[in-house]
Amino acid sequence: MMRKLTLSKDELERIIQICENIEKRGLNPFTVSVKSILENLRKLLEENPSLDHYILDAETMYRIATIIALQHKWLEEKAKALFIDAQMISTRLVAMDKKSIVQAFLKAWRPIISLEQMTTQRLRQGLDHFLSLPPRKGEREYGWKITEKELEMIKAKLKLEEKALIERLKELHQELIKEAGDRGEVDYWKFVIRESFHETFERAYLLSFLITEGYVDVRKNPLKDEIKLIPHEEKLKRRSPKSLVITIGGDRAER
Amino acid sequence: MIAATMLLFKSHRRPGIRGWELKNRLGKNYMRVVDALNSRLKPLGLEIKTVFEEGEENNLDKARFYVTLSHPLTMSDLVTAGWRIDEVAALAITLSTLSSRGGKASVKDVLEILETKFPRWKAEAYLEKAIRRGYIEKIEEETLAIGWRTRVEIDQKTLLKAILEHQESVGEKGTSKT
Repeated sequence: MMRKLTLSKDELERIIQICENIEKRGLNPFTVSVKSILENLRKLLEENPSLDHYILDAETMYRIATIIALQHKWLEEKAKALFIDAQMISTRLVAMDKKSIVQAFLKAWRPIISLEQMTTQRLRQGLDHFLSLPPRKGEREYGWKITEKELEMIKAKLKLEEKALIERLKELHQELIKEAGDRGEVDYWKFVIRESFHETFERAYLLSFLITEGYVDVRKNPLKDEIKLIPHEEKLKRRSPKSLVITIGGDRAER
Repeated sequence: MIAATMLLFKSHRRPGIRGWELKNRLGKNYMRVVDALNSRLKPLGLEIKTVFEEGEENNLDKARFYVTLSHPLTMSDLVTAGWRIDEVAALAITLSTLSSRGGKASVKDVLEILETKFPRWKAEAYLEKAIRRGYIEKIEEETLAIGWRTRVEIDQKTLLKAILEHQESVGEKGTSKT
């Protein structure tokens, strides 16, 4: 009984599939015998009076109705096209040479005449297009439209980067305190300079955050050309903060 | 002047202009202006064509108005206008096939006929170009249909008739030879 039920369902789905194919691909709708399908449908429905079948049956009926409409349209088209058979046209097209085909086409062709010119709408379209272009070399530059989704992703990425930066600052602060030890101070260049310029630059950059925040004081001795770092366990409040420019590069930055 | 500018200059992505746009600029008697312009264009070998929306056959406001040639082009006109004979032949084959099949056909069927005249890569390139120009459209992954430009520029019935008639005359020649 169960097998019979599945078979009839498959049969209905097959009919739906056939009808769908004809509709979508523009095949000849008369290839389907509507009468026999309807007879089949009645038989299947009498054998399986279940809800599932009623639903499938309704869907099949809808498809058959579409096929009937397509048959009507097909006949209309055929009548309009003077009952020209598609196969006949195909055969003749294959037999004709290109020039003859073009000559026949020219009899029916009246091309549109239109002139291209710049309009305000076109300029707006151009601007929109320009603004929607991604930057070259994968860089994010002014003018690139950011979608909502991208904005969310950027925010999430920035949060992660911020977290990593705070971690790195804490590490550097602890390293500085440890290195200063009892002396309470460290030579700036000794602390900052590492094997690669990239690393040196990164340490100097992170250190500038610690200095600005008040975790590290900087003492400069112009006579000895020395810069000393004085780390503090806690953040200090600055009374009169000053800026200090330190140039990194050249011989000094490399060991 | 306004009507000619609106009809001849392309102001949207597609050429042509809607009836309601003409109505906005020319007033409710815009069809009188269109008719007057049409009579002036005729001596120049041009005409105004009205294409109605499907299912809106009497609605002029929703219809599109185009300026087209009023006479057929010659082979030399075609070459002067920058068209390649091969390209036009491919377009003619595609459109005849689609028209004879009620406006739709599978890409496979169209390519099969095109491949009797061109190598596959060329046939595919011509189909792509025809899609871009609006002569045909891809409605499904594997199905082609008549596009908006064909509905404006080509009299499909005349095309099919011309294909058949041309073939018949070739057949007659062949018979007389034998």
